[in-house]
Amino acid sequence: MSTALPVQPRTAVDAVAQVHQVVKRYGSGDAAVHALRGVDLEVRRGEFVAIMGPSGSGKSTLMHLLAGLDSPSSGEVWLGEREIGALDDTALTLLRRERIGFVFQAFNLVPTLDVIGNVMLPFELRGAKPTREERDLIGRLLDELGLADRLGHRPRELSGGQQQRVAIARALASRPRLVVADEPTGNLDSRTGREVLALLAGAAANHGQAIAMVTHDPVAASYADRIVFLADGRVVAEEGRMEAERIARFMLSLEADR
Amino acid sequence: MIRQHGSGVLVAALSSAFGVALLQGTGLLTAALRADGTTGTSDTVAALLRITSAVFLGLALYAGAVVTTNTFAVIVAGRVKAIALRRLLGSTARAERGAVAREGLVVGAVGAAIGVLVGSVGVALIAAGARVADVLPATPYSYANPEVLLPAAAVVLTTWLAAVVGSRRVLAVTPMQALGGAEEVSEEESRASALRSAAAIVLGAIGALLLVGGVALGVVSFAGLLVAFVGGIVSFTGIVLGAHLVIPRALRLVGRLMGGSATTRLAAENAVRYPQRSTRSTVGLLIAVTLITTFGVAIRTFGDMIEAAAGNDPVYYANTEAMLTAVTTVFSVLIGFSAVIAGVGLVNSLSLGVLQRTRELGLLRALGFSARQLRRMILAESGQLVLTAVLLGLVLGTVYGWAGAHSLLGAAHGAPGLLFIGFPWALAGIVVGGGVLLTLIASVAPSRRATRVAPVEALGAL
Ligand SMILES: Nc1ncnc2c1ncn2[C@@H]1O[C@H](COP(=O)(O)OP(=O)(O)OP(=O)(O)O)[C@@H](O)[C@H]1O
Ligand SMILES: [Mg+2]
Repeated sequence: MSTALPVQPRTAVDAVAQVHQVVKRYGSGDAAVHALRGVDLEVRRGEFVAIMGPSGSGKSTLMHLLAGLDSPSSGEVWLGEREIGALDDTALTLLRRERIGFVFQAFNLVPTLDVIGNVMLPFELRGAKPTREERDLIGRLLDELGLADRLGHRPRELSGGQQQRVAIARALASRPRLVVADEPTGNLDSRTGREVLALLAGAAANHGQAIAMVTHDPVAASYADRIVFLADGRVVAEEGRMEAERIARFMLSLEADR
Repeated sequence: MIRQHGSGVLVAALSSAFGVALLQGTGLLTAALRADGTTGTSDTVAALLRITSAVFLGLALYAGAVVTTNTFAVIVAGRVKAIALRRLLGSTARAERGAVAREGLVVGAVGAAIGVLVGSVGVALIAAGARVADVLPATPYSYANPEVLLPAAAVVLTTWLAAVVGSRRVLAVTPMQALGGAEEVSEEESRASALRSAAAIVLGAIGALLLVGGVALGVVSFAGLLVAFVGGIVSFTGIVLGAHLVIPRALRLVGRLMGGSATTRLAAENAVRYPQRSTRSTVGLLIAVTLITTFGVAIRTFGDMIEAAAGNDPVYYANTEAMLTAVTTVFSVLIGFSAVIAGVGLVNSLSLGVLQRTRELGLLRALGFSARQLRRMILAESGQLVLTAVLLGLVLGTVYGWAGAHSLLGAAHGAPGLLFIGFPWALAGIVVGGGVLLTLIASVAPSRRATRVAPVEALGAL
């Protein structure tokens, strides 16, 4: 880490998370893989950002950095007003626990806990009983995600899509400032997928949560306020809200360039 | 491979060293007795020593076999993917299982050989020390005693058997599993047979009846002890045979007592996640604690009864007391060896369990489990297993010890009533202390490993 005190790079006070010139390298020497080659990105309060790009372009890696799960080889990652390189493990853990909700690409749930146990886990980790409002929210989320009659089931008794919906309910339940979702609609049919996207968009628009979502699906990306395109570890384009069709065409042109 | 089998070799070596040391020790003592005692008594003593050694060795072998079975079951669970891939490429289930069984043979042979060496050298060293201190006469004794091959062979055999039993799950691996996702693999073997459960219940019931009968008979005759003894063996066999019924329930109960925070609840769930694995990890400890407590309570109660009956002869009593303490100590140490073997198994199965749960632990870290909470969770899991074995063992041992003492001395003149019980607090304290120590030791390595993984690494997220 740099010796000088890190200075928050941009002026955006409402940036929930930002990465500044991050590089992520795996391995070293000739065998080194550059997953990210200097990426800048910020996600603001109430903003729904979609990250798109070919497989292996570094989307998941970027999400992990943005969520404070991994540290960059160089560059800075800011969560709110704090640079994560300056935090020790415990402080970073607490920050994640308080502020971030996750939906991973795979393996989202604790196998020994049932649906409701998994959703409540973040509350229990904080040692806080959910408030009445939070309880209502949880009930509503589980209902809207079609899980209301599944509360006592363990993950292995659920389909892949159901598991993913449980993870989404968990990520939204505590209204974290930032929700990081890696292909949250990957396992869902188009109707359920649309419901999930509407939930995410609503969380951003109505509750000021920042959402960063990786997706390969142009329809999913069309729900976002902003779309960031990655290729080969770099941001190659950033666009405002786009129609699904235009997104699809854009993606095709990106792939043709390679 | 060596890493995986390290604990198997250690367990085999411990059992073998213990058996060899017992044999060399009795050989040495018998030679010494022969040299200075009358032939008649020394032969009886030698025979007694031998029988006692055989019983304790059998105990250690059993504990070792259970532990090794578990180790192999866990190893096989970790290899399911690789086995499935070979099955996909045309290997038969039998060939795969045969390969695991052969590993068992090698593990047993290596461990047994180490044990023969360590056991013999250990006894020789102690004997040399005793001679210098003039406690042991300088009788000639050859350590090249062919008898030591017996415990060594027994260790090889039980380790091989344990590998065969532990690898049962190999037969259930289908080539399809090579294609499956990164889903968790269950290691549960086919449900324990109904026959086994039935036998356990019948033995338990008959044994309990005999035990009660023995105590009742003890009020009028010393022969009560025989009946109670048989009852004890039969009922305890029932309990060990039915451990898969008893231990998971006990674990759940203890788990509930541990409290309701997220860490302890997750720990409690983990402890019963693979009931068979947890049962095998704790049963050896349960047996050892039960036996130690049985001897402790029986001898303490016995001593107190003698004291009450012969209270007017304090000198006589003081001698008895010293002898009873010595007997309790020797027995506890000998049984304690099986507890050590069981402890090795517990440590190992906890470590492997954590290793196989790396992704899950990473998920917990990502969701906000601090390193401290993770450590506490593993400690709670370890504590739950140990506490269950210790509590259950103390309760069972107290019942057995009480029954033993009363079936023998209930009829003695001036014996106190049936409610009388002498509880060996010091011994129980040592057992509990040992349990606490084991809990701590068992959780060190897994905690360190678990907290070292970065959340994203553990998620295996690509
Ligand atoms: N732990 C790791 N070790 C080595 N290389 C890695 C590791 N994690 C990721 N990579 C490499 O980094 C690059 C980016 O991976 P990343 O998972 O971020 O891609 P992605 O855009 O999420 O792809 P997908 O759409 O397939 O999920 C890939 O080339 C990948 O092989
Ligand atoms: Mg990805």
